[in-house]
Amino acid sequence: MAPLDTGAASNLFNVGAERLALLGKHHKALMQGYLDGFIDEAAFSESALKKLIAARILWRPDEQQPLALRPLVSELIASMVADENRRQINADVAEKLEQIRNRVQAYRDAQYKSDYSVAELQLQRLTEHVHDLSGQFEEAIDSLWHRLNSDFGFVASLDDKIRENERAQKQLRRLLDGLVLLDFNELIELSEGNNQLRKLLVSQLQNQLSSHHSSLLEVQKRLVELLARFRQQQSRSMLITNMAAFLRQHPKYQPADYPNRSDVPVLFNQAAAIQPQAAIALDKASERQILAELVRALPRTAAINLPDQQSASFAAVMEDEEIAARQQALKTDVENFYLRVIDKAGPLSALDYLTEQQLSWDSEIWLYQIIAEYQALPQDEKHMFAIKRDEVPASAVNSLLLIRDISLSLQAA
Amino acid sequence: MLQHGPLLERLLAGDFICQVSDEDAFRHLSQEQTQQDINHYLRPLNRRLVSNDDNSVYFLAYHELNKAAREQLSGQFALTVQSLLPLLEWLQLVQETLGRDSALTAGDTIKLQEFVLRTEDNQSLRQRLNQLASDRFFNSQSDALDNQVKLIFRRLKEHGYLLQPHSDRQYYIVTGKIDYLIDVIRFIRDEEHLPVDDTPTQQAML
Repeated sequence: MAPLDTGAASNLFNVGAERLALLGKHHKALMQGYLDGFIDEAAFSESALKKLIAARILWRPDEQQPLALRPLVSELIASMVADENRRQINADVAEKLEQIRNRVQAYRDAQYKSDYSVAELQLQRLTEHVHDLSGQFEEAIDSLWHRLNSDFGFVASLDDKIRENERAQKQLRRLLDGLVLLDFNELIELSEGNNQLRKLLVSQLQNQLSSHHSSLLEVQKRLVELLARFRQQQSRSMLITNMAAFLRQHPKYQPADYPNRSDVPVLFNQAAAIQPQAAIALDKASERQILAELVRALPRTAAINLPDQQSASFAAVMEDEEIAARQQALKTDVENFYLRVIDKAGPLSALDYLTEQQLSWDSEIWLYQIIAEYQALPQDEKHMFAIKRDEVPASAVNSLLLIRDISLSLQAA
Repeated sequence: MLQHGPLLERLLAGDFICQVSDEDAFRHLSQEQTQQDINHYLRPLNRRLVSNDDNSVYFLAYHELNKAAREQLSGQFALTVQSLLPLLEWLQLVQETLGRDSALTAGDTIKLQEFVLRTEDNQSLRQRLNQLASDRFFNSQSDALDNQVKLIFRRLKEHGYLLQPHSDRQYYIVTGKIDYLIDVIRFIRDEEHLPVDDTPTQQAML
């Protein structure tokens, strides 16, 4: 890196570093300027503004205009944050190609003069140009993909999306035109006889550019598809709006009788529904087992017989003999209880009797049956018994009375 | 044919099969061999498999148009014509309410709650929804916004325009039957030379 005089190089280094530092130092105010489109001068001191203008970061496009970021700085930010609204695509290939040609010439001249340090520097610059050229396509392709993948979501309306898509397609065509300018025969000629040049200009650049080319074609295909979809959506929206408006204006509108035309349009030939039904068939012996299981699995209607409060003679509706027998046993036990009451002089608690006789009836059923039996007595016999309910309210707030026990006693007639 | 049993049942029941309503079945139906098999099977039932113009939705049509078939089609057609305006108004209403920049298409998701929330605070949307709900296609008797919206969406689900992936969750996916509806409208427009434009003029684009 010796050939340039070191003084100039170090000066360049210092100025560059200082100015880059300026970007960092005022990053927030500058970013705000990027978003607003102009710089709020009050946010800077006067000397800071002077420095920023001198560093070609800010400029005043017009006497009347406020300070703004230089286009290159805006572009840098747009590329860093992938802001598709502001990102620029540079499709200029011819200029880069010219630079590459010149560098190759300078490199060859230096080699010819055996000035190896200059040759090395030129090769270094040439490498940079080649990378720039490739990077330029890479940046553009990245931007295009980014826009595609977000469905052009950075603009709001469908019309804007269509316009953005068309703009992207134009950019893409320029990029493809630029690629055509790269004539590999020329590059091969340029690098003739030099391994390093061949490696750089032919194998490396060619590889990169052919992959860019296929990426661009893919992007183009997708852009066209997306545009078609946008257009379809747009035409659908319009069709809906306009047809609705038409039908509102012509409420009596009746289209032609398509179903009775000789050739019915497929859209209106919509067959009636058929619901396939099936029933159990008993003709296959092998399926009997399964059918039997199905029948067994059918839920049976549970025989819940609510006792009839009025007559209390619910035994009559009991079909099942076993239940009838139990019912009869309960009745007998209750009758025995009544007999005991008659034998005994004082009141007799029903639950006490139940435990005393070690009867297996549920206490609730027991009490219920006793009340039922009492109700079933003929009027004059009812008078013979005094029935006393031991009741408590269901809870402090619920005055429903629950019967806890019943005591029965013989009443003096 | 056995593996297409459930699909045949759905088709026979009058369902429209699209990528949204049944992805697997739709893929099968896109194969020519399957189409032939199904048509062969349906022949004695006087049915055949048909699709809309861009093959995005399949349904069954009559093979031969006898008298009974024509009567059925006439009834069907009358219903379709009657449903056009309410369906179009619903499409517009959803697009405007949800602030979408394009009309609903198959695969779009609509959250019922979002729709209700946005309608609630907007008098004109509320008014339009009210009117739409009382159209005889939806036939809502309720004055409550929530009930009206629920009814509208349920009706659209019954007619196959919407799919509700989870019966306990209030979000819906637009099915391919909406493409069919658009095709019907376009067909009528073209056939009857209605003054209904769908190509944006240069002025509209600017």
